[in-house]
Amino acid sequence: MSQLQARFFTEYKKFAIDDVPFSIPAASEVTDLSNVINKLLEFKIADHKHVEFDFLVRGQFLRTSLANHMETENISTEEVVEIEYVQKFTAPQPEECIMHDDWISSVEADSEWILTGSYDKTARIWSLEGKAVMTVAGHTDVVKDVAWVKRDGLSSLLLTASLDQTVLLWEWNSERNKVKARHCCRGHAGSVDTIAVDPTRTKFCSGSWDKMLKIWSAESQVINKIKRPDSDKNSFSSLQTPLMTLSGHGEAVSSVLWTDAEELCSASWDHTIRLWDAETGGQKSMLTGSKVFNCISYSPLCRRLASGSTDRHVRLWDPRSKDGSLVLLSLTSHTGWVTAVRWSLSNNHQLVSGSFDNMVKLWDIRSCKAPLYDLAAHEDRVMCADWTESGVRNRWRLCVCCELCVVCENCIVLLVGTGRFYT
Amino acid sequence: MSARGAAAERNSGMKKTTEKRKNREKEEQQQEEEELPMFDKNADKVGHLDDTDEEKEDLSDSEESVFSGLEDSGTDDDDDEEDDGDDDDDDDGDDASGEEEEEQDEENHNKVEKDPAAGETSLTPQTEDKPAKSRKLKKKKSVTSGGDEEEERGKSERDSGLKISSQVDEYEQDTSDEEDIRNTVGNIPMEWYKDFPHIGYDLDGKKIFKPIRSKDELDEFLEKMENPDYWRTVQDKMTGSDVRLSDEQVDLVHRLQHGKFGDINFNEYEPAIDFFSNEVMIHPVTNRPEDKRSFIPSLIEKEKVGKLVHAIKMGWIKPRRPKDSAPLYYDLWAKEDPNSILGRHKMHVPAPKIRLPGHEESYNPPPEYLLTEEERLTWEQQDPEERKLSLLPQKFPSLRAVPAFTRFIHERFERCLDLYLCPRQRKMRVNVNPEDLIPKLPKPKDLHPFPTTQSLVYRGHSSLVRSISVAPGGQWLVSGSDDGTVRFWEVATARCLKTVEVGGAVKSVAWSPNPAVCLVAISHGNTVVLMNPGLGDRLILSATDQLISSYEEPTEVKDQPVEWSLAEGTEHQQGQRLILTHPRAVKQVTWHGKGDYLACVMPDVSSNVQVVIHQVSKRRTQNPFRKNKGMVQCVSFHPIRPYFFVATQRHVRVYNLIKQELTKKLMTNCKWVSSMAIHPGGDNVICGSYDCRLAWFDLDLSTKPYKMLRHHKKALRGVAYHRQYPLFASGSDDGSVIVCHGMVYNDLLQNPLIVPVKVLKGHTITHDLGVLDVAFHPTQPWVFSSGADGTVRLFT
Repeated sequence: MSQLQARFFTEYKKFAIDDVPFSIPAASEVTDLSNVINKLLEFKIADHKHVEFDFLVRGQFLRTSLANHMETENISTEEVVEIEYVQKFTAPQPEECIMHDDWISSVEADSEWILTGSYDKTARIWSLEGKAVMTVAGHTDVVKDVAWVKRDGLSSLLLTASLDQTVLLWEWNSERNKVKARHCCRGHAGSVDTIAVDPTRTKFCSGSWDKMLKIWSAESQVINKIKRPDSDKNSFSSLQTPLMTLSGHGEAVSSVLWTDAEELCSASWDHTIRLWDAETGGQKSMLTGSKVFNCISYSPLCRRLASGSTDRHVRLWDPRSKDGSLVLLSLTSHTGWVTAVRWSLSNNHQLVSGSFDNMVKLWDIRSCKAPLYDLAAHEDRVMCADWTESGVRNRWRLCVCCELCVVCENCIVLLVGTGRFYT
Repeated sequence: MSARGAAAERNSGMKKTTEKRKNREKEEQQQEEEELPMFDKNADKVGHLDDTDEEKEDLSDSEESVFSGLEDSGTDDDDDEEDDGDDDDDDDGDDASGEEEEEQDEENHNKVEKDPAAGETSLTPQTEDKPAKSRKLKKKKSVTSGGDEEEERGKSERDSGLKISSQVDEYEQDTSDEEDIRNTVGNIPMEWYKDFPHIGYDLDGKKIFKPIRSKDELDEFLEKMENPDYWRTVQDKMTGSDVRLSDEQVDLVHRLQHGKFGDINFNEYEPAIDFFSNEVMIHPVTNRPEDKRSFIPSLIEKEKVGKLVHAIKMGWIKPRRPKDSAPLYYDLWAKEDPNSILGRHKMHVPAPKIRLPGHEESYNPPPEYLLTEEERLTWEQQDPEERKLSLLPQKFPSLRAVPAFTRFIHERFERCLDLYLCPRQRKMRVNVNPEDLIPKLPKPKDLHPFPTTQSLVYRGHSSLVRSISVAPGGQWLVSGSDDGTVRFWEVATARCLKTVEVGGAVKSVAWSPNPAVCLVAISHGNTVVLMNPGLGDRLILSATDQLISSYEEPTEVKDQPVEWSLAEGTEHQQGQRLILTHPRAVKQVTWHGKGDYLACVMPDVSSNVQVVIHQVSKRRTQNPFRKNKGMVQCVSFHPIRPYFFVATQRHVRVYNLIKQELTKKLMTNCKWVSSMAIHPGGDNVICGSYDCRLAWFDLDLSTKPYKMLRHHKKALRGVAYHRQYPLFASGSDDGSVIVCHGMVYNDLLQNPLIVPVKVLKGHTITHDLGVLDVAFHPTQPWVFSSGADGTVRLFT
């Protein structure tokens, strides 16, 4: 078997070639195929520049020679093989490094600003270029999680959750560079480890060590009325009580997110991921794992849930499946606790995971045996990661933070994927 | 005296002469005993030569050939002579061939001369029996060799030369064929052949021709005149030849003619001895005729017989008693239940079979079975029981040469013993596979979850970390180190949230198990500090502070061995709340499950106050033990019941705190107990010791260890039970933490299942110290270990 019949196709009109089968050597690898496509394109388009391509055979990335791949995937070599090609996702390079002077517990990026929470009890706002813009101080203990709520022009709403059992809602005016605590959400009996803002940007949910999930309103008008004059301890303008409390977890809640406007998803140390109805407060379903879950992420594009746990694996779940513990895929490459996992906002195949083994890995679920890239720019344990929503259509950034604990100097490394062709 | 006897005599005479010769000639000494074969050889050879001679003669001289049938004896002689001549030749050395021929002629002449003599001897066989050739030969020799010593010598010499290849002619002495084989016609009147030219047939079926008698009366007369032996020459009827009678035969004839006995030695006139004489002998014999009555039957007997006959007729006597058919032996199984016969047969064990003989028992074993000299020696030195072979393999030239088996009786006897002593009952031997004796332990992978890998390292201490304790919620970890600090860690991230300098090497830390208060007991030096770390729920923290500040000084002040004082200033800001000053260094602090009582250990051999129990809410201290029972190593509260465990060097004593009495005394079988942990169920205790052992006690079972584990290579420093999972762990100086599955069943009949599942390594050994303390996470199957390398490690 030295030659294979293959037909190439792509979703990118720009790189489309004639839909005819080619006879290609079975031993050819990605670079060979890429050269073939480039040759064909050169014939077709006069001013074609060389582009590296990646190839998919029946939804799986080609990583070995074509013959090997087809043998392992049990694809018949008798028929014409359909090979999809996409532009190669080039290796992300570290672009900027933002130094923090304490551990960074969380990071959240939007199209303009990066928000980090730190163990020095503050949250900080950075520009995408890595310039410190604002320090949000007000918590009496470690800031465990941060979140952007919404932006109205120059003023933005942001949330910080802390070990001091409170969530603070801040209003930040980027023009005047003033930050003001809108109100304080008090009610948890343990450290608030995770917060998530709902898609309508009017509510948010917090998960705490005290096993509870609480849904709070992000609207400031309602709570202004319930002002507590006796709260002399803090200077916040108002206190807020939760709209709803969801209890059911047997252990600390480690991660929470909204899958849509009415559905909440939470991961816990009790080895379960639970789906809640945000309207009624009832538990809809439960996914059971075998280890403590550190983090979860949901992609509305592919409707998959990714979880990182203490046993080194990133697991993909289908949250809609009713029979609990169905793992679709297990991505195994890390050697430490997986502490951060985040789906790409734009690519329904990509996710990033960070671990205590100092590695950040970029995965494509179409090649689940090995990550696409290992990002080894960090010298310390990775605590959290996030993608930026770039204003430029084709530029996506990955914000990852890690601790650098020995010298108490911590950093954010911004990793930029330079691939231009994501959808 | 018979001819045979004479021959034997001559034979002996021959021997003598041979011996003489042997004295002279040394090379033939050893063959003396083989004289007979020597002669035989001679005869054999002679026979052979005879044939050739006969043939020659047949060809050359027809007259000679006529005699061929009769030549047998004669030729023997002749050959003898010839041989002798040969021997002479040998003696003389190499002579010219011409000389030889001459001699040959001479011998021929001799032969002719001696022929009549041969005929004479041949008579003997005719009359009595035909002797063997050799005998004839000897006879001949005795006749001829009057004193011809030289001839004798030469002959014997030749014989000796032939001896080696000599073979025994088995038919030499055979006399079964008595008939005269010179003529095969048998015992018939020879007149029947009167008209034929031949007189019979020889063995080959050829005609034996009558000797040509062309003698007329004149010749007859001349011969009568000239031949001195004419008178003793007779014609052999069987062959028709003339035979010259020997002196003895002539003598015999004379004796018979005179009516005398043929045997010279027979005395016809033996002195008569009267059998019945007047002489009295010790056994007298009589020739008195028998009495008449001896021929007449006895009347008495007749009467007796008549009576018997009458009795038989009347049936009084049974002539033959019917034979008792019952066997004489005792039927061992007569009373046996017939159904049980089946069982007996089932249990039948056949008699042991004798081993079939092997090659080594053959009379002619293959050479590889023959023992070498060394093997034979070892065989002889061995005990008969030890010998591999019961007999020595030996090689014999033939089966005939095999001697009687000396051990035959012995061996038969042993065989009988074998049969007799053979166990006739099947031995119920239990075939035990040693692997089956190993208890069936579940595989570790079936016992998940348990810690398997090192996940987090809590770095920060600069000296060895003596003690760790996890908050009841599982979020925080406290560690006390020799560098004088106590550090509080966030478990999930290994972040050190708080560091408190206490001003002395921290020996022991213990987080209060009461979730409603947040207190950590820290012992350093003589003091025990109760600290509110300020971690966790604010309400609880404030409740804890409230609890401490709400204390009211009691009205009457008791004399307490421990001084309680409130922390102030910076110490208070650090979180220290109460400081308890003890008389001696406190080695261990441990909380009661409710979190109000706190026990402190001040090990001292000489003091009675080794253990004190504090009540935090009332700030009271009591010394529960009046007597010193040995140096206390560690103490522990029972998780549920009011029991108190005190571990001294070798024993663990269990006290009932309410009844204030000793409940149990556990024998650890260890030399020095280092640590102790109580199962959350309260019925099981593990003790780690400095002599590398871990003893598991089931309090319901015994005061001796239920299981003793020696899985560590060095001294154990810390042991711990998991609160929820069936796990326990031990930390040792060899730098490893060994996690075991220790399932305690609710069923009282089922013993705990203990399976070592994982050896966790991570700590580096510093100053010969490895792991100093182990603690389990309260809710997760995670184990923390603190080591001499200044780190705390989390294994998940």
